[in-house]
Amino acid sequence: MIRLALLLLLAWAGPGRAQELPLVAALSQDAVEVTTGFTGTSLMVFGSTEGPIGPGGDEVLVLARGPTRPVVVRRKVPVLGLIWVNGPSARFAGVPGFYFIAGTRPAWQLLPEEERQRNGLGLDSLPLTSTGARSPAFRAALLELESHSGLWVENTSPVEIAGSRLFHARLPLPAAVPTGDYQVEVLLVRSRRIVARQELAFRVDRVGAADRIATVAADQPFLYGLACIMFAALAGWLGSVLFRRG
Amino acid sequence: MQVYLPIAEMSVDAFLLVGIGFGVGWLSGLFGVGGGFLLTPLLILIGIPSPVAVASGANQTLGASVSGLIAQWRRGNVDAKMGGVLLVGGVLGSLAGVQLFALLRRVGQVDLAVSVFYVVVLGTVGGLMVMESVRAILRRRTTIKRKLHEHFWMHGLPLKMRFRRSRLYISIIPPFAVGFGIGMLSAVMGVGGGFMLVPAMIYFLGMPTSVVIGTSLFQVVFVAANVTMLQAVQLGTVDILLTMLLLLGGVAGAQFGASMGTRLRGEETRALLGLLVLSVAMSLLWGLLRRPPNLFSSGPAL
Repeated sequence: MIRLALLLLLAWAGPGRAQELPLVAALSQDAVEVTTGFTGTSLMVFGSTEGPIGPGGDEVLVLARGPTRPVVVRRKVPVLGLIWVNGPSARFAGVPGFYFIAGTRPAWQLLPEEERQRNGLGLDSLPLTSTGARSPAFRAALLELESHSGLWVENTSPVEIAGSRLFHARLPLPAAVPTGDYQVEVLLVRSRRIVARQELAFRVDRVGAADRIATVAADQPFLYGLACIMFAALAGWLGSVLFRRG
Repeated sequence: MQVYLPIAEMSVDAFLLVGIGFGVGWLSGLFGVGGGFLLTPLLILIGIPSPVAVASGANQTLGASVSGLIAQWRRGNVDAKMGGVLLVGGVLGSLAGVQLFALLRRVGQVDLAVSVFYVVVLGTVGGLMVMESVRAILRRRTTIKRKLHEHFWMHGLPLKMRFRRSRLYISIIPPFAVGFGIGMLSAVMGVGGGFMLVPAMIYFLGMPTSVVIGTSLFQVVFVAANVTMLQAVQLGTVDILLTMLLLLGGVAGAQFGASMGTRLRGEETRALLGLLVLSVAMSLLWGLLRRPPNLFSSGPAL
């Protein structure tokens, strides 16, 4: 399917138009549906460049960010040298629930440090501001925890090149991916400068039963609670009826 | 088979949940405890966020207990009058417990308080039960004639009431106080409280073991319903799909447990429950004492 999409793109962005646009990119889907059977999925980011991709020529960076939320990172400390309890904590505002970056080469090889920091290209350049404990270890711990959960992905696999002007990258979305709006940026880098960028977007939404349950739980908590109680009691009763003869 | 839990916002193996439900339901039917003190730590262990684990655990406890309660009711092992007195105390106690919980939260060490509560309460209850039941098992051989139950200060209290099923004529103050105390602890610890209720009814109120289990389930059903409602309205953390999967195994387990329980002697049932409670306390204590593999943890900011 991806191959077909690439071919279509090539046809659409054919020789005449590629001259005008230095970079053309698209997503394989613009909506991800989270059903009760959802176990994670992946999107394809693909496109073509004006000039040949590779060392000395054009380079491509793909950046994706999910909806943000505040996060608290806590550190355990021993009390009386015996019991480990939650001690100091740092609160980070606006932490992206999903972060992905990949390039034909890692971003730090392609761009000057200042440029890279300004555009937030790479986990170490995320603009994370915290209140509470000051130690940089909290930020490092947040990076480690999020990377471990698969929600923050940096350069795990490079952007693939086909036929010197076509590129594609796989965007892995794990099962725990937060719902909401996602921004994808595709950057074209030439001689250590960003010469073109294209912004794309997709949505992650719960659908079907999963969505209805979450909606009712949020909008009608009393009815939902009552339903949960009735349901559990009914299941218990049903169990005792079924097993009486057994 | 993986399923996506809509409230927990994660995907887990459905068979694993059904299996956990079966195991906990089996214990619930066997011992007359809701199993919340086992289920909640197990769910957290497999990665369910703790607020969802506590709330859905309470909901599953409700279902499993209804199943166990019906099985016990059919055998005539429920003292509804005693259960009612315990329940009134329990509801008032859990309201007080919520206030205590809020106070601990203001002080800022709710995690520590809950862990210490667990270790102290489970350790004490488990230790006492094991000691007593081992003594009872040993005494069985040397047949000493014992009175039905001994009289002490408790039996001089006013407001006496006859509990026919329990073969007791006692003041309603002790059962009310037991219900109140356990209601308070269960609000702080987020459990139904059956594992504390069972020994309290046996040793403190002097009820026969056969009636204790059914009566405990009676109380647990209502406490769990109350907790489910409070959690659904205040925090929105009850995951009905998680509950459904746990119950699928749980209701079957509770029936097997209940029929097996009738074949075990009272002392043996108590000894086994005591050992189980004690081992949970030990593992929680170990969790507090050992150096955590990752010193840092993250969670959503409130």
